[in-house]
Amino acid sequence: MAFVEINNLIKRYGSLTIFDGFDLTMSSTDRLVLIGPSGCGKSTLLRCMMGLEDIAGGTISLGGDPYITGAERGKMTLDKTVQKEVGMVFQHYTLFPHLSVLGNLCLAPMRSRGMGKSDAQDKAMELLKRFGLGDRAKFYPSQLSGGQKQRVAIARALMLDPKLMLFDEVTSALDPELVKEVEQTMMELAEAGMPMMIVTHDMHFARNIATQVVFQERGKVIEAAAPNDLFGNPKQDRTRDFLKNVLNIEG
Amino acid sequence: MALDFAFLLDFRWVLLKGLWTTLQFVTLALVIGLVWGFVLSLFRTSSNWVIYSLSTIYVEFFRGTPVLIQLFWIFFCLPLFLDVNLSDFTSVVIALSLYSGAITSESFRAALKSIESSQHDACIALGLPPTVRTLFVILPQAVLRAIPNLLSNVVSLFKESALVSAVGMADLMYVGQNIANNVARPVEILTAVALIYFAIGFPLTRAVSFVEARLLKVVKA
Ligand SMILES: Nc1ncnc2c1ncn2[C@@H]1O[C@H](COP(=O)(O)OP(=O)(O)OP(=O)(O)O)[C@@H](O)[C@H]1O
Ligand SMILES: [Mg+2]
Repeated sequence: MAFVEINNLIKRYGSLTIFDGFDLTMSSTDRLVLIGPSGCGKSTLLRCMMGLEDIAGGTISLGGDPYITGAERGKMTLDKTVQKEVGMVFQHYTLFPHLSVLGNLCLAPMRSRGMGKSDAQDKAMELLKRFGLGDRAKFYPSQLSGGQKQRVAIARALMLDPKLMLFDEVTSALDPELVKEVEQTMMELAEAGMPMMIVTHDMHFARNIATQVVFQERGKVIEAAAPNDLFGNPKQDRTRDFLKNVLNIEG
Repeated sequence: MALDFAFLLDFRWVLLKGLWTTLQFVTLALVIGLVWGFVLSLFRTSSNWVIYSLSTIYVEFFRGTPVLIQLFWIFFCLPLFLDVNLSDFTSVVIALSLYSGAITSESFRAALKSIESSQHDACIALGLPPTVRTLFVILPQAVLRAIPNLLSNVVSLFKESALVSAVGMADLMYVGQNIANNVARPVEILTAVALIYFAIGFPLTRAVSFVEARLLKVVKA
């Protein structure tokens, strides 16, 4: 059984159908990178997996547990204990601006996991040091660079020991010179064996970090393969066209 | 006509007493209005149709009618309806609290609405239960964002409080008018009263700009 399994996912925004029977699997040793044209539903997919979107059909499973089951009418069912094993990092950091870095990291473990304050702070400091942010613990988000904010956001998600991490274009809002530090943090996580699903427009980074690349278009998987195959020798015309386009734009 | 401000010194204690009264009921009305306004802003985001409608009507009514008429209404009609005898001071505090609650609720509501939906997303992604979300993430940000607006409300209410002289409350304005009538020197006395209002109001408006600049840096991360 696959670690992540998405079966027959149906997602609509009003009358706009984003997914009409979408399937995807991922093993626990994978780092899956999703690529595809703007508006094809990459963010929507991650948001559905995080439980942020109501889905109209299908199931999403983690470790064999279907934790989200869509319903055509009425509310989908969501298993909150499994949902808590998924962590997500967003494009625009979404740190809590009124809390210090330490406060951002400790809020969820203390208030929803019942962790003691000193335990939470110890754990937070350990993570911050690991990411080279040890001296920023007392700072507020507004006093950090974009790259630092995003690394804090990653650390905040890791405080809850997720079994799967979702990254939605986490470097897209950053100045070019700050992209590296965030990508390095993600590479380090990858080496530590964290299963991840990553949406990015950076094809070089995709090639470096991925074990699987999925090219998606209009709510469908067009091609899924190992990075060397998908980038080096794409099987589908549409994949080839897409790559030609983005690689041209990137120069 | 020659202006002569020297005689004002004779009235300094009366003027100060008027100012003291003004400060007392304005402060009371502000504190009560702050709490009442926060409750109202929650009512106005309520999904209960009755609570939502009643609070909206209330707020729109108090924002859309002259404060002077509200004062008359509380002073002369409320005692008749409720069959109670209220002191002038109590009536003024009630009237200004009801008004400032309506204004304050709008500041809180705007602040609540200005919090991006991504903050809610982050809370869900971190598995925060709804009460924790409200108390530790949304509420503190709403209060921070409302502060500059709330401070502006303080300045407005302080100035508008001069209207209570019209119902015979012995505030700074009323005392000033009385002296003006007695000594027949309205220009000097009203100028002096304006300067006293200004001496309190101006630092307050400066404080608003200062706090605004500081807070925006923190809140807009
Ligand atoms: N809240 C929403 N309400 C209505 N439509 C939405 C909403 N969010 C996204 N959409 C639509 O759903 C489609 C998929 O959006 P999504 O954000 O998932 O695309 P994406 O692949 O992440 O694109 P990008 O690469 O630009 O981030 C788009 O057509 C978008 O306009
Ligand atoms: Mg997107």
